[in-house]
Amino acid sequence: MLSLKELLHFLSLSEPNIRYVVFGTIMVGIASAVIGNFTFLRKRALVGDAIAHAVLPGICLAFMLQGSRTLWVLLPGAFVSGWLALLSIDWINRNSRLKPDAAIGLVLSVFFGAGVLLLTYIQQTGDGSQSGLKHFLFGQAAAILPGDLWVFGLTGLLLCGLVALFFKEFTLLSFDPDFAQAAGLPVRRLELLLSTLTVLAVVTGIQTVGVVLMAALLITPAAAARFWTDRLGAMVLLGAAFAALASVLGSFVSYQQPNMPTGPWIIVVLSGIAFLSMVFAPRRGGLARLWDKLRHTWKIREENVLKAIYHSGESLGDFTAGMHEEAVQGRRAFNPWQLRLSLWTLQRRGLLQHNASGYRLSGEGLREGARLARIHRLWELYLTEYLRLAPDHVHDDAEAMEHLITPELEAQLEAALGYPQRDPHDRDIPR
Amino acid sequence: MTTSVPEPALEVHDLTVTYQRKPALWDIDFGIPAGVLAGIVGPNGAGKSTLIKAIMELLPTASGYVRIFGKSLEEVRGRISYVPQRESVDWDFPASALDVVLMGRYRQRGLFRRLNDRDRRIARDCLHQVGMEAFASRQIAQLSGGQQQRVFLARALAQEADLYLMDEPFAGVDASTEEAVLELLTRLRDNGKTILVVHHDLQTAARYFDWMIMLNTRLVAAGPSEQVFTNEMLQETYGGKLTLLQAVGNLAGSKGLPLRE
Repeated sequence: MLSLKELLHFLSLSEPNIRYVVFGTIMVGIASAVIGNFTFLRKRALVGDAIAHAVLPGICLAFMLQGSRTLWVLLPGAFVSGWLALLSIDWINRNSRLKPDAAIGLVLSVFFGAGVLLLTYIQQTGDGSQSGLKHFLFGQAAAILPGDLWVFGLTGLLLCGLVALFFKEFTLLSFDPDFAQAAGLPVRRLELLLSTLTVLAVVTGIQTVGVVLMAALLITPAAAARFWTDRLGAMVLLGAAFAALASVLGSFVSYQQPNMPTGPWIIVVLSGIAFLSMVFAPRRGGLARLWDKLRHTWKIREENVLKAIYHSGESLGDFTAGMHEEAVQGRRAFNPWQLRLSLWTLQRRGLLQHNASGYRLSGEGLREGARLARIHRLWELYLTEYLRLAPDHVHDDAEAMEHLITPELEAQLEAALGYPQRDPHDRDIPR
Repeated sequence: MTTSVPEPALEVHDLTVTYQRKPALWDIDFGIPAGVLAGIVGPNGAGKSTLIKAIMELLPTASGYVRIFGKSLEEVRGRISYVPQRESVDWDFPASALDVVLMGRYRQRGLFRRLNDRDRRIARDCLHQVGMEAFASRQIAQLSGGQQQRVFLARALAQEADLYLMDEPFAGVDASTEEAVLELLTRLRDNGKTILVVHHDLQTAARYFDWMIMLNTRLVAAGPSEQVFTNEMLQETYGGKLTLLQAVGNLAGSKGLPLRE
């Protein structure tokens, strides 16, 4: 099984075969990730998938015409048929009433179907040199040859170079194409270039991951990177790094377990990275969002406890009297454990003091309690005055708003209401 | 009723636009003098946005032409700024407010060229003019609707144009943004710029604009606000009496037939 020694031996890249596979997949991964950012941001993921499937008939035809399966022969064929698929989608969108998703699905299935048909035909003719052609379905990174590295390297460089050169134009095109066109950018030609580069990335990637999984190599790095950053430049670099990491790990797994295919493992690792990003990324990740929600729930509960104690003091006309847990429960029903936790937190924050007679508000606690009561009553007043709601309908809404309203909104609210003294239930609005 | 303008900043001549063959605008004819703040008003589906998109050649036109400062759009593109509807873009895009404003500098800088310090200075100044300098590095998804609209206006300012075409800059913004936008447009007008704004709120239209284009798939009236913004014209714009026009349009649309040979 996994051992550090094996990993180190693998990473030392001393075997030429490992070198070819690792460098090849890294180059292909980075190129696809870089161009994939724009596919992702333009919401063209499905188009990427359609192009990837559509290169298959091109590969088969190129093989049938030339009888060779070196990349230099097959890639132009793949490129042409990927390109034709793209044009077909565009043409259907422009000239028929089919919706874009239907057009994409149609082109994908027609091209891929034709590809599978040709592939079956080639295999039945029994041409000895055809063996391995079906690897273009799921890829076979182990078959990467030194000559292929040149192809990958050159196309990768060309791709990254052009993206760097047109970075600001591609950005604007992805964000606001109407504005780009109005500002006089050559939008049609830039779109053409971007699409061509996407086809190019797909064509170089199919040997590693195959036509079926190629869209994942294009989209997943960008989707994962988006969780970590709000800057496009950082997103591109991070996506490229994810792709490179997945390439190394995917290659390692297939090196370790001889029957494991490299391409699918790269995609598995990449999907794992995307999943981890979805869960653990700060701010945008699932855990961060869950944490925010929990914190807000706690805050609401604490504020409700504080308010219950404040209301009790208000009705007694005496805020110095102590209050036991049961008395707080008498004001408003809480889960006993949650109440205890909230009382403890409030005490620790210095809003409550505790002695033999129970809990009482500190000076700061009194101010906070008054603030909550004030916002609640101001909001009730606002609803009755501006929305003409009946006074007995406004409590629940105010109950929610009192935890959200910021000091700025509070000031605006008071000003709009003319600094009122009494709420709709004729209670004091504390100041 | 259309007021003729001797030397218009913007002249629209016999413009017809069709969507999937169904006419959205019929034979629109009007001119706007330089240095006015003009509003396009009309009911939903009147073709207000379609009109300014057609002027910017974002939509194909079935017939007619547009002259801007007496020339074709291509010759004077550098002097025109277009502000799309706020909802037309996905604000969850990885960019800051400053990044978006800098997009207004791309044309001046040209292809292949990197933005320089001067562009950044101009962009910051434009953010300042719309009261958003404190939000320069804020991710655009975290801005309120009104703030996003201000960023769009700052981007238009960064283009340093003479004619501004704006699609619903007052839609869905808070009161303070509405005032800020109006103040900005008035100041641009006072500096001799020409501004054409798609507007949906009749309550404020008369106060905001000194020139008005009243539209309901056809041109009802165009001219100084005090002359054309009358009860009679409003009735005609919003009354929906022209059911026959609509019926013929639908007919052409459903048959998918071209309107011109």
